Formats: sequence, structure tokens, C-alpha cells
Amino acid sequence: MQETLRQAPQEKEVALAKPPPKVVVWDLEVTYLVGRRRVTALQNFSLEVQAGEFCCIVGPSGCGKSTFLRVLAGLVSHTAGRVEIRREDASRPLTAMVFQEHALLPWRTVLDNVAFGPENRGIPKAERYRHAREILAKMGLSGFEHAYPHQLSGGMKQRVGIARALANDPEVLLMDEPFAALDAQTRNLMQEELLRVWAQFGKTVIYVTHAIDEAVLLGDRVVVMTARPGRIKAVVPVNLERPRTLEQKGSARFAELYNEIWYLLREEVDAALREAVYG
Amino acid sequence: MPRFGRLCMVEPGARRGRREGGILLSLTSVVALLSLWEVAAGTGWIHEAFFPRPTVIGAQFTALVREGILGQHLSVTLGRLLWSFLVSALPGVALGLVLGVWRTAREVVDPLVAFVYPIPSVLFLPLAAIVLGRGEAARVATAAVTSFLLVVINTTAGVRQLDRSLVEAAMHYGARGWRLFTKVLLPGSLPWIFTGLRLALGLTLIVVIAVEMVGAETGLGAWLWLSWQTLRVRDMYAGLLVIALLGMAVTYGLEAVRRRLLPWVQEGESKL
Repeated sequence: MQETLRQAPQEKEVALAKPPPKVVVWDLEVTYLVGRRRVTALQNFSLEVQAGEFCCIVGPSGCGKSTFLRVLAGLVSHTAGRVEIRREDASRPLTAMVFQEHALLPWRTVLDNVAFGPENRGIPKAERYRHAREILAKMGLSGFEHAYPHQLSGGMKQRVGIARALANDPEVLLMDEPFAALDAQTRNLMQEELLRVWAQFGKTVIYVTHAIDEAVLLGDRVVVMTARPGRIKAVVPVNLERPRTLEQKGSARFAELYNEIWYLLREEVDAALREAVYG
Repeated sequence: MPRFGRLCMVEPGARRGRREGGILLSLTSVVALLSLWEVAAGTGWIHEAFFPRPTVIGAQFTALVREGILGQHLSVTLGRLLWSFLVSALPGVALGLVLGVWRTAREVVDPLVAFVYPIPSVLFLPLAAIVLGRGEAARVATAAVTSFLLVVINTTAGVRQLDRSLVEAAMHYGARGWRLFTKVLLPGSLPWIFTGLRLALGLTLIVVIAVEMVGAETGLGAWLWLSWQTLRVRDMYAGLLVIALLGMAVTYGLEAVRRRLLPWVQEGESKL
């Protein structure tokens, strides 16, 4: 059911030269029950993401940005609207998520964690291990195949989290504040690492964060959301040249974008705070 | 200043040092107690007829082991222990897993467990003897009842304490149904299952000995009880020693199995 709902129609009006978007979200609404109260997490949420795009979403706490990712991931079902992810290869999963708290299985080694998705899809052992090792090598994790998650630092764990998502070879890579739990220095390194890996794998990425500088550094566009119920307030294209590096954070253009987004976000953060106090 | 220096010292190395010191300390306490006992019994502070000197007990123990008498009783007790453990552990884990994932079943079974669990296990012996006849089956069953519940309770808790977000992540990566069960729920609750097994093993030994004291002609419990009743005090102590050693051996054995099977559990904390 969910699968068909989330699958795009094969042909849209192809008259336009522009390729069809990878992800189409149209008038999405998500509500859920808290006790007896029905809370609206997302409303009138519409978004298109192009194939190969790095799309960042920022918004105040509790605005539903994580909920949006969870809808795409099939972990939460939406109450209205349409979500379509264009599938190129039926054997590949639509999405793979990198979770905020890495959510690696502690009883599995790094290698078995990374091979978990393919394992569940019935890929033979030799093949899924070969593939997993390849990705681990690209993520700079060679030599850690047989380590357990608790033996790794936070940054390394999240690398494994990213490797696990990439090993599942999804149509769209979902990232839910993956570096929020890391210290500032490690976060910087991981951002660079992610830019490198993204350039290498060419995945469509939807990346949720609350850090504006991170969104500007990584994204092709930054979607700014309103306080709950989450709607799209603005979409800011990030016209910084690629490949990007941390040095760009010092540029005037970067500061301009940062301020523009902060200006948009500020009143939403205020609104969210007020709701937290009075709501 | 010195305080600050100390704070820096409390790192893994320092902690390990303290743990080794702990083992030494507990050894000294055992040695001290035995020496005190030896001297007290030798000089007549305590009555040697009831508290024979440790060296005398040791000699009697060696003699009994040589004659093979203790070995015979040990093998009988060990057999009962292993059977009871098996009979309680396997269905206990199975039922615990089911209760962990199935809320309705949990609600049905919970009051029953709460009702039976506090009953001292030995009291099931007469009932077991009525149902199963007065034989090995009744003894094994009696020793298995409470252990079974212990395993059930711990296994259920093990499944329930699993991090929701882990289960969700596993499902997102395609683990559903039986696969979710064998690859996530079972391994994730294994540390708790082992805690239950360890407690159950200790309890099973206690109940097996108690059952032997009241309802068997052979086994370490029966030997102990008979020695006491015929005032063969040294034999009684030798029996106590074997029981203590047996308890230690099976507990450490299970611990070794756990370490082997769960290399991913951090020492000292059961954090997932």
C-alpha cells in the first residue's frame, strides 16, 4: 500500500526539458494523537527535490522536520496529501535513513551493521560483504570491520551509520540531524567527509538539521520551515560553488546566506518558544 | 592541587587496579577467617565437635573424594541440577520472548507469575510428587518451577527494555516479522536473558539441595542431612564444601559462556 502510494507515476508531462523531480511531496499533512489531543505535525507541506540534489531542511524544534523524514522513510504514515519518490530500479529501496543517534545494532560488528540492509533483502553473504567492505573503504573505515559499535567514537559510529545507508543503495538518502550529537570539531570533519562522499555517490539527499551553517555549507537549497504545524516558509537556493570546503564558511556570501536564513527562522523559533511556554 | 591530580588519575587504568586489589582483598578475608577458625578450634574457643578445624575438614574432604563417595553424590546432584535448569531455561526463554512482544499474553500471564513466584519452591515437592509420582521427575520439576519464572521475568524485561529507536531502525532496514525477532529482539535481549539464567541457576541449585534433604536418598543434600542427623559433622562440612564449589563452578561456567556469546556487551555496564 505504502509502496504504491509513494511510487511515482512513470510518465508525467515530459514536454518540459527539465527532468522530473526525484521526490514530489504535495499538500502533505501528518497528525497524531497525544493522549486525547490531536496534534498537527505537518500541514500544507509541498516540496520537490531534484535527482542528485542535496536538500537541507531547517526549522525550529518540534516543527515536524523529523516527522517529514519519517514519512519519506515509511516509518510514519501521513494523514493527507501525496508523497512520491521516483524509482529507477525496483530492486533498490526507496529510502535509507541515517539516524540522529546512529541507531546501530550493538550486537553486530561494523561489517554486519553495514551489510544489514542487503542481508534483509536476501543478497548472498559473499556479495553483501564485498559491497559493504567497498563502502567501508570509501568511508575510511577499513580495518574496523570487526569492531563493535561501543568500541568506536561518536564520529566513527556515525560514519558507520552513513555507510549502512549507502550500502542499502537507496533512491534517496535521508539524514536526520546526523551530526547533532557530535562535538564541534568532529562535526566539521564529518561535514567535509559527507560532502566528499556525496560527490562520489551522487545520491539525492534530504538532510534535516537545526544548524544553519551546516545547512548552508551542505545544501543546494535550504528549506525553512515554520513552527508547528510545520509548513514551508521559504526555500533559499545556496549559490555557493562546489566542491565546497569548510573555508567557505568565512566568505561574505556564506554570511549573507546565513543571515538571510536566520532572519527567516528567527520569528519561527520565537513562536515555537512561546508555544512551548503557553501551549 | 593534589585533589585535581587525583581526579585525573581516576581513568580506566586506575579503576582496573582497584578491581585487582578487590580480588586480593576478598582472598585475604577468606584466609583470615579460616586461620581464625583453625586457631579457635585448636585452642578450644569453639567446640571442635561442631566446628572441626578447617585442616581436619580438608583431610576428611580429600579422603571422601578418594573413596569416590562425594563424587557419586555430586554426579547425582549435578544431574538433577542440569535437568532442572534445562527444563526451566528453555521454556522460560521461549515464553519470556512471547510475553515480551505480545501485550495481551503478558496481561493474562502476569498475575499468575506474581502469584506463584513468591511461593518457596520446595513447597511444590508434595504437589509434584502427586502429579508425577515420587521419583526424579518430581524432584526436577520442583527445582524448575521458580527458576522457570525467573527466566520468564528477565527475558520479558529484556525484550521490553530494547530501545524503540533501534527496533525502528532495524525495521527501516528491512527486518520484519521473524527476521526482526531473530536478528533484533532475541540478540538485543540476550544480556537480560543471561542475567535471568544466572539467577535461575543459583536458585535451582538451592532448591535441588533442599529437595534432596527432604525427599531423596542420594545427592549432596541427602548426604548433608544424613551426616547431620548421625552427627558426622566432618562429613557434613565436606558436603557443604562440595556444594559451594559446585555453585561457583556452574556460575563461572555460565559467565564464560556469556562472555563468549556476547562479546559486544561492555564490561561493567549492560548499556546497549
